[in-house]
Amino acid sequence: MDKKKTAVQDIDRTVYDIKDKVDASYQVEGGLTPKIVSEISDQKDDPVWMREFRQKSLAIYNKIPEPNWGPSLDGLDMSRIITYIRPKTPMRGNWAQVPDDIKNTFERLGIPEAERKSLAGVGAQYDSEIVYHNVREEVKRQGVVYTDMESAIRDPKLAPMVRKHFMKLVPPTDHKFVALHGAVWSGGSFVYVPPHVKVDIPLQSYFRLNAPGAGQFEHTLIILGEGADLHFIEGCSAPKYNVANLHAGCVELYVAKNARLRYSTIENWSKNMYNLNTKRALVEEGGTVEWVSGSFGSHVSYLYPMSILKGENSRMEFTGITFAGKGQNLDTGAKVVHAAPHTYSNINTKSISKDGGVCTYRSSVEILPEAYGCRSNVNCESLMLDDQSRSDTIPVMDIRNDDVDVGHEAKIGRISDDAIFYLMSRGISEADAKAMIVTGFAEPIAKELPVEYAVEMNNLIKLEMEGAIG
Amino acid sequence: MLLEVKNLKVSVDGTVILNGLNLSVDRGEVHVLMGPNGAGKSTLVNTIMGHPQYKVEAGTILFDGEDITHAPANERAKAGLFLSFQNPEEVPGVTLESFMRTSRVAVTGKPVKLFAYKKELAEKMKALDMDAEYASRYLNVGFSGGEKKKSEILQMLMEDPKLAILDETDSGLDVDAVRIVSKGVENYKNRDNALLIITHNTKILEALTVDYVHVLMDGRIVRTGDGRLVDEINRNGFQQISAAAV
Amino acid sequence: MTMNFALKNVNALPTPTWNRLGINDTNLEVGDAVFAPYSSNPLSALPDGVSVSPLPFPKADTETGMGRDAADFVLANRTYGLSLRTEAGIRVAEPVKLEFRLDGENPALADAVDISAEENSEITVVMSYRSDAGFTGFHGGLTRLYAEKGAVIHLVQVQLLGETCTHFDNVGAFAEEGGTIDIIQTEIGGKAAASGVKTRLDGEKSSLIMDTIYFGDGNRSVDMNYVAEHIGRKTKSEIHVTGALLDESEKTFRGTIDFVRGSKRAVGHESEYNLLFSPKVRNRTAPLILCAEDDVEGQHAASTGKIGENTLFYLMSRGLSELEAKKLMIEAQFRPVTDRIPDESLRSAVMETVQGRLSGLESME
Repeated sequence: MDKKKTAVQDIDRTVYDIKDKVDASYQVEGGLTPKIVSEISDQKDDPVWMREFRQKSLAIYNKIPEPNWGPSLDGLDMSRIITYIRPKTPMRGNWAQVPDDIKNTFERLGIPEAERKSLAGVGAQYDSEIVYHNVREEVKRQGVVYTDMESAIRDPKLAPMVRKHFMKLVPPTDHKFVALHGAVWSGGSFVYVPPHVKVDIPLQSYFRLNAPGAGQFEHTLIILGEGADLHFIEGCSAPKYNVANLHAGCVELYVAKNARLRYSTIENWSKNMYNLNTKRALVEEGGTVEWVSGSFGSHVSYLYPMSILKGENSRMEFTGITFAGKGQNLDTGAKVVHAAPHTYSNINTKSISKDGGVCTYRSSVEILPEAYGCRSNVNCESLMLDDQSRSDTIPVMDIRNDDVDVGHEAKIGRISDDAIFYLMSRGISEADAKAMIVTGFAEPIAKELPVEYAVEMNNLIKLEMEGAIG
Repeated sequence: MLLEVKNLKVSVDGTVILNGLNLSVDRGEVHVLMGPNGAGKSTLVNTIMGHPQYKVEAGTILFDGEDITHAPANERAKAGLFLSFQNPEEVPGVTLESFMRTSRVAVTGKPVKLFAYKKELAEKMKALDMDAEYASRYLNVGFSGGEKKKSEILQMLMEDPKLAILDETDSGLDVDAVRIVSKGVENYKNRDNALLIITHNTKILEALTVDYVHVLMDGRIVRTGDGRLVDEINRNGFQQISAAAV
Repeated sequence: MTMNFALKNVNALPTPTWNRLGINDTNLEVGDAVFAPYSSNPLSALPDGVSVSPLPFPKADTETGMGRDAADFVLANRTYGLSLRTEAGIRVAEPVKLEFRLDGENPALADAVDISAEENSEITVVMSYRSDAGFTGFHGGLTRLYAEKGAVIHLVQVQLLGETCTHFDNVGAFAEEGGTIDIIQTEIGGKAAASGVKTRLDGEKSSLIMDTIYFGDGNRSVDMNYVAEHIGRKTKSEIHVTGALLDESEKTFRGTIDFVRGSKRAVGHESEYNLLFSPKVRNRTAPLILCAEDDVEGQHAASTGKIGENTLFYLMSRGLSELEAKKLMIEAQFRPVTDRIPDESLRSAVMETVQGRLSGLESME
């Protein structure tokens, strides 16, 4: 295990000590047992195949070791994570029916307002369960399905499609935390867009983790028919508690021939979150997947959306920004496999480290032997705001034929004194000059986001920057 | 007096560049600063503007009666100083227009009336023969040398400072661009403000009445004369000027 | 002593990544090797100012690019050892030459060479490795460099072994204030070749210049791991790797610029240029920048692919065939580096070896 110098805040031990007594029996059983997993199946009324799938995943989870690379997971003790928190309400299709305390949380986050103004459909998950799901009538009429995963599995019309795709792209054998996900997943969204249907306005799922020491394991499955077009937005947040929370979601995206999917995420989990999320897209001939990813929250993140360019002329674009402040170790990036000829990938990332925060950009670009005529470009830029922080760049390229055009550029440094002076000479204060340069640095990402999110992101940056300038 | 530089001694990374320099500029005046490469011209104007890399070892800089020797650059801008940079910085992600607006709010301390501002900007850009599209481009990013200089003059016109310092604003420009930039400078100049111009070229001076010419060599002003000194330098070069001064 | 040995987990990335990619480190099969003292004298007459030193190496714990196991392996099986030193203030332009050859008499070579340059001195050491045609041999080297204040060490390592040989070069360097480590490596031969170079830029304004060319044909594999560790203020590193892959050859390059906290105003540049000529080649690259200091400038650029169409068109418009144009491009790519080899005959040997390999080709597809 690589021991990096990090300024990670200690998790409050006294809270753990109390839990030790309460959960002594859980500890003996290593936190997660076939019995607990079976209870989840009972409560969810899982079909038989899903029951078996969960148990199989649990067996895999118990076999796979933790990763021997990446940020330390020492603060995460699975025996102390309450993996399943069931909120006190069934799912609603109307905000008025959602209980007040939960509704107020989402109101504060601006979700219902955004739904009225600019979204085609909204799903809201509170801890382990979806509490709200709604989609506009005109979108429904196009044949678009947007529902929660549990409903999709139980719906006789959708069930075969779910079963055919569920964790086929991201199998539980992939790594330890996706095996965990397979065993205890709960909530999340299912989206199906029929062939040649273009959804003009975005769908959004919002994930809120509220219970202290809890885990959220939502599963998002999106299937686009041939020539379909969709923008899906995912937002995540949680209040800050003194105990470690865990998010091990899984996103599977199937992009059929000539279809286009844009998947945008603004992640602002609280800074006690272990965000070990797995996202993957399979892109058929002529299809496009576009990832827009902003990582601002979490204590530790492992996040590398992967694109498998399976069909000829398929494409992926990844635009990402990561901002790590005090106590944060955010390991983010992207993976792409060029598995077919004439495929194209473009990865463009920015990272900002301050106040002892650690950013790691990690990526892999693989071009397989039969994938000739491929192009790939990687560009990553890192900004260091002080000498207490850390920024590492760890890209890998594996190229297995000669008919390729692969470029990679990486840059690291701080805000130039000359640039600050230039702005100051036009009357702008030093703090504002720095904030302006950092916002400008992030602008290529902001302009890819829907405007409300771009504003939110710039506010997050401004908020972070206020503490950064002495 | 608008600007008074007294006995200024400046070093960069421990090397003394300016050594006891004196210079006074009053309202309504046009001053030209000439001198061979490496004489310290850019050092002087960057020090007047307050670049942190230039260390003032001794002496004072007074602007409009205030001692600004150790003031940060933005305070100097608010006081009415403007420097047109020789090589303006590129700042990705910040558009020229939003930057100038932020700058005006910072300098004046008052909110900007959007409609009037846009109209004023459009007029001034037109006068400089600048495509309106430049306003929405990132600050100096991908601008050619000439476009950068025009963007500097545009900012000068929008800011309307008490003293504008032009650091080789005319170098590297083609004939047409020099004519346009000179026109901009001419429009800026009035009885109440002042100009300090560093140039190797005389084109930019043609439309202006030059009051004083200073020759800077070895960290000091070795000679000051009126506009005719420019011709003398062009004829004889700096060496003779300095020999004559001794 | 007969050895059947594999070096495991050498050339490790300073910070590991996904195991699935197989790039975190490498294993090198040494196979059967009989280690016996090197039977002839590889050392040229020493120029004035350079002496064989009885003193121990100034920094025994100097880290190397391939790692401790590879270093210990050479020390344990050493068949040749040498310690060179220049005295303070003496700058020696004439290179010290070490010419090794693998053959029936010397089938396995494990050489440990230490080079120390005292304050403000300069030394150039040129090491070359060749083998008899068709001979299967092994070479493993450990080279340690120590540049005192203001000293300059030029190290040139030229590997022209036959196509069935196994080879590794494990280098560790340390530079005090204002010291310069200047290394040229040419990885041209061998079946499996590995090279690791770790340089600790300890003193203020110390610097590393590293130029490498590699050439892969047949089923040759080349595995490199370079690390520039910036400790001192205003330290500089320049790592530039360029090469060509033909047939079914493979190359792995790991290059790390590591800015340790306190290395204020350090600058590190790394570039890699790979020309690919066959659908069966494999090119792997991991260019890392590790950074715990804000006041630094780090940059990496890599470009991998076929020869640009415009270049090819330009050369062909001047009458060259496609094959000739490609050969010319490979040579052109190597020339700036080989021109810096301070030994006329070795310089031509490198180019002749490359040309010889290329001449047999009737097409490059």
